[in-house]
Amino acid sequence: MLLLLPLCSWAQQNKLIVTPPEMITAKRGATVKQTLRVSVLPGLHVNSDKPKDEYLIPLKLTWTGGPLETKSVSYPKPEDIKVGGQELAVFTGSFGIETEFKVPENAPAGTTNMTGKLRYQACNNEMCFRPASTEVKLPVSVE
Amino acid sequence: MRRLTLPAAIVLIAIGIFSFDSCTGSKSKAAGEASKAAEAARKPAPNFTLRDENGAAVSLADYKGKVVLLNFWATWCGPCQIEIPWFEQFEQQYKSQGFAVLGVSMDDDGWQAVKPFVVTHKVNYRILLGNDSIGQLYGGLDALPTSFIIDREGRLAYTHVGLAGKNEYLSEIQSLLASKAQSAASLGVAAAPALLVGAAE
Repeated sequence: MLLLLPLCSWAQQNKLIVTPPEMITAKRGATVKQTLRVSVLPGLHVNSDKPKDEYLIPLKLTWTGGPLETKSVSYPKPEDIKVGGQELAVFTGSFGIETEFKVPENAPAGTTNMTGKLRYQACNNEMCFRPASTEVKLPVSVE
Repeated sequence: MRRLTLPAAIVLIAIGIFSFDSCTGSKSKAAGEASKAAEAARKPAPNFTLRDENGAAVSLADYKGKVVLLNFWATWCGPCQIEIPWFEQFEQQYKSQGFAVLGVSMDDDGWQAVKPFVVTHKVNYRILLGNDSIGQLYGGLDALPTSFIIDREGRLAYTHVGLAGKNEYLSEIQSLLASKAQSAASLGVAAAPALLVGAAE
């Protein structure tokens, strides 16, 4: 029972889990794709990247540092649900967010990290939790 | 160390799963969590002073003598949007009986986010801008909407974490408005003969 308490306090802060991504290896000038695996806790949903209501906060993956250039970020097709008469476009369960990177010709060779953040806003059918961000690290090996 | 028996282990695992489910905020039932304080056990609602959209300072203490629905919400909160039209109706219907809705927005982006929302949704009750301090005063406010119904003596009578039913709110408001009216009426009836008796003596 006591073993579950740390899990509980962790759960109060994180409504989704990002699986630490495996290292990607790429040559200078190449284009590489990487899929970030995300799991939303059971019973919850997060707004999709394009919520139907302008006031709802979208899921957004932003790469902020590292040797690669971000060409595009693609989100899966959202699930349409209805909560109390309100139509929502959400993500639930496990899903992937795909990023296409370009390796610059002048990228330094070696192993380093791409860093980024995933901003999200989680709710269930009765309540919403404060918008949050989780740090993301992607190990990269440039050849 | 003693070994756990199988039934005991099953019970512990079940409690653990239940606890984890509770702390994730995931529930399958239709409404959020509600609690009611017995009149004698009601605690004073923590006072605060916040600003409204015109910059005016508003204190909860200013509302003493009224039944107040104190609603913590945010523009990004879908379930909060469901409740807002109900609160507008309550404000209109019961204002003359000594009732008021106070909406405290917990938007980090401040009035920039809140003002357009209030205009679009034609909110007819007072909106204040909250902060982390008031969040702590009222238990952390990890989830929105969170609403408190405060009696005329400024005490917390009902608490709702998450979306509650419109009729639930209605019956609670009506009961707080009526209980005061009844007690005032009974005081009046009891006091008048006492005064008359005293005068006759």
